[in-house]
Amino acid sequence: MKINTWFGVLGIGRTGEVLESELFSKDIRELARRSIALQENMQDIPPAGFDLKAAAIECRFVESSAEYYSLLHEVTLEAAKLQVSGALTPDQRIIQAVEALDDINETTNSLSERLFEWYGGYFPESGLNGEALALFIAKYGSRENIGSEDPLYSKARNSMGAKLEAADEILLKSFSESVCSLYERKRQIEAYIQDSMGSIAPNLNLIAGPMLGARLISIAGSLEKLANFPSSTIQVIGASRALFKHLRARAPSPKHGIIYSHPLINTAPWWVRGKIARALAAKLSLAARIDFYSGEKDASLVEKLETKVQQIRASNPKPPQKKQDSGVKPKKKRRK
Amino acid sequence: MTEVKNLSEGIFEVVKDKKQLATKNLDPGKLVYGEKLIPVEGVEYRTWDPRRSKLGAMVLKKFNIPLKEDSKVLYLGAASGTTVSHVSDIVSEGAVYAVEFAPRSMRDLIGLASRRKNVHPILADAGKPDSYAHIVEPVDLIFQDVAQPNQAQIAARNAASYLKRDGYLLLSIKARSIDTVANPKEVFKEEIKKLEQAFESKFEILNAKDLMPYHEDHMGILAKPI
Ligand SMILES: C[S@@+](CC[C@H](N)C(=O)[O-])C[C@H]1O[C@@H](n2cnc3c(N)ncnc32)[C@H](O)[C@@H]1O
Repeated sequence: MKINTWFGVLGIGRTGEVLESELFSKDIRELARRSIALQENMQDIPPAGFDLKAAAIECRFVESSAEYYSLLHEVTLEAAKLQVSGALTPDQRIIQAVEALDDINETTNSLSERLFEWYGGYFPESGLNGEALALFIAKYGSRENIGSEDPLYSKARNSMGAKLEAADEILLKSFSESVCSLYERKRQIEAYIQDSMGSIAPNLNLIAGPMLGARLISIAGSLEKLANFPSSTIQVIGASRALFKHLRARAPSPKHGIIYSHPLINTAPWWVRGKIARALAAKLSLAARIDFYSGEKDASLVEKLETKVQQIRASNPKPPQKKQDSGVKPKKKRRK
Repeated sequence: MTEVKNLSEGIFEVVKDKKQLATKNLDPGKLVYGEKLIPVEGVEYRTWDPRRSKLGAMVLKKFNIPLKEDSKVLYLGAASGTTVSHVSDIVSEGAVYAVEFAPRSMRDLIGLASRRKNVHPILADAGKPDSYAHIVEPVDLIFQDVAQPNQAQIAARNAASYLKRDGYLLLSIKARSIDTVANPKEVFKEEIKKLEQAFESKFEILNAKDLMPYHEDHMGILAKPI
């Protein structure tokens, strides 16, 4: 019987004795690559209870048990390293970018709020917030520095805000500069995601748009996982808190996954949103599969989806009639 | 004065201010997860936090830990190597085949394995034991901590391929989340039933205990081939 081992191909007899052997060379990298290949192919595996170490010594691949383990150690380590670096696929890079973007958004929001509160004491009438406020402060510092050409000039003149001392002004200006640069980074990451989605998942990109597409991949964990999800799951991706509640407390199952941010749904009248979400989820699922398995761009997907959505809207022009008007609240139907 | 008591081969209780579980550090001077190093008469002990390790909790719950200096261990669900590091300390002359399928955890485990000669990392799905048949030899102990719904089948399959006739199976079983309604005893009974089904009377359960207060919803199981 022929068996594959990490150190060579062996022919073994009934009791596991080695009859013949074709040993690999002791090149760690080569052995590691072979080991990974064997891990995937799973052909001619040694029988249960087969003593690999004894066989390796018997066929003189190694001279001692110590040598066996030290070689095995290096090979498994090298194989694991190769596999881990191979696991950092382009979709994993997008996921990191999406998560970095979420972190930046969170940080920028809280820093912007801080800035709003802080500067509010000195110029409450500015009416600015977010990036505009940060840019404003980075440029002028105290409202006294606003030139007469600026639209906020007269408001600044008549402001009830306190006087900004030099030391505070320095602090506020540099804090604002940091906030501005976070907004810059945010745009940079968004641009990165847009670029990469076009090449990694062109169809998903077409149908979902880069940000929604990237978020779907991120929540699914990989493009492969997304491609293997049934479309009913894609429909509720991102609704996990609601989904959890549904499972625990038998609350109505959630229909509002993140795909509800898609323009085809959020611009549609409420009574067709569920139907459109189903159609969209089905196309997203198809798109993810094409992207994962073939990578060919298929422009007809978008047309088909749009036709489908038009049909849905045309055949449901009016909101459904309420069944009863007795004042009793109708029981909510559970969705399947 | 620091006192050292031997609890089981390679496993110690070090008393310094308080009682602490510990192993002899095979990688002197290095910490793995924020534990402490306690030198006693030229030997460096590394404390073992039972709240971070199901195996550590099993020791304190008086499970017989069938490990010797030269034991071969198949460790399923190695994660970043918190417990693997202590097993590696215990089987200083043996081997630990550490299987983990999450690349992120494997990254940390590789760091650990590169400093510990007896740890052989394997990035693979423990549910497919054939995928590492070309690497793993028959072992004295299979330790499993995968916290997966199919944990019983995973254990049974690996034991069928890799456990020596006189070897042991030591499992951390995660019970389905114990909510306020279900009686924990009932939930554990259910898990044991599942295990027995998966074992198809090829393995006998020697000990089964919950891991409270160190881990909620978890049970330790010691089994051996019949
Ligand atoms: C509870 S953690 C293990 C903690 C670890 N035993 C310790 O004490 O340090 C469970 C680990 O099992 C891994 N895991 C789950 N299912 C697995 C499988 N089928 N194959 C390999 N690893 C798996 C998970 O990725 C996770 O890292």
